[in-house]
Amino acid sequence: MAEKVLLIDDEVEFLETLSERMKLRGMDVSTAETAGNAVTALDSNEYDAIVLDLQMPDMNGIDMLKVIKKSHPEMQVILLTGQATLEAGIQAMKLGAMDFMEKPADIESLTEKIRKAQAKKMVIVEKKTADKVHDILQTRGW
Amino acid sequence: MTQTLDTREGLQFFGRVSASVSHEIKNVFAVINEAAGLIEDLTVMAERGIPLQPDRLKGVANSIQGQIRRGDTIIKNMNAFAHSTDETVREVNFVEILDLTRALAARLADMRQIRLILGDCEPVSQLANPFDLMQLLHSSILAAIDSMDADDTLVLSVKPVNGGASFSLSVPGKDAPLKNDHVFSSTLQTMNVTVTVDENLRTTELFLPAQDATD
Repeated sequence: MAEKVLLIDDEVEFLETLSERMKLRGMDVSTAETAGNAVTALDSNEYDAIVLDLQMPDMNGIDMLKVIKKSHPEMQVILLTGQATLEAGIQAMKLGAMDFMEKPADIESLTEKIRKAQAKKMVIVEKKTADKVHDILQTRGW
Repeated sequence: MTQTLDTREGLQFFGRVSASVSHEIKNVFAVINEAAGLIEDLTVMAERGIPLQPDRLKGVANSIQGQIRRGDTIIKNMNAFAHSTDETVREVNFVEILDLTRALAARLADMRQIRLILGDCEPVSQLANPFDLMQLLHSSILAAIDSMDADDTLVLSVKPVNGGASFSLSVPGKDAPLKNDHVFSSTLQTMNVTVTVDENLRTTELFLPAQDATD
């Protein structure tokens, strides 16, 4: 199954080229140039992974990560930034980011991380479903 | 401008500009990296029998050339900024230094979705410490940005006044962006700069008096 990915970055040429390369690798890719567009896309679509720039004009990546995790706690977020600092990396991981990569990134490493993100999300969703079924079985007294 | 500005503040200013510039260069490299990678992907596909589309290759080549031009401008600005520390005082073209400071602050403004543009400027050159002057202008721009909203435009101008020079900052459709008692008042004092607000023109003026060659 093709990995469904949302790329969020204000560099339009970067978004266009990276998304084309990821599509060539069989992924289903959407893009957002602003945090506002990203929120809209998140509300109307399901994604396996999000690749997020740390610095956006309308919201910084850390705040965006908080917004994503609040509304979609199971979402796997990979931060991709030109300004990779240890401090930002630690903060992002504490907030639940799956990984933190520095630009320019190696596409094969990024692809590998996205595949892991999809697998991780599937495990979380399956566990949630199993828990829900277990709860129903416990409370209905069948 | 007989005194020089505080060293620590100067270093912080240098660091802030360098960090912003290096981040911009990283973005340029990121786009070039993906464009070169795309050419590689298309080549691998061609080896597997999928025809290469000349227009697609042309587009990617144009993208790389555009990013190289962008990177070259960033590096030229950084180079001019670095050379601002060469001499303590020299004859400075104020229009050029205002435009250079604008360019160096542009990314920080972009992050706030604010446009920085050069308005009407009259030729003016005088003796000044170029690094201190850029620090003053950069601080003024950042302070102005702090009082502005997304989608606003900050217009920067300079003209000769009474043997010195007056830099002006305005935001079309809004009040003057800086007030007299602003946080960098110590910088203004050290550089003997006076700030006035013209309520009618909705403009903040920074007046830098002519400096004596013996200073």
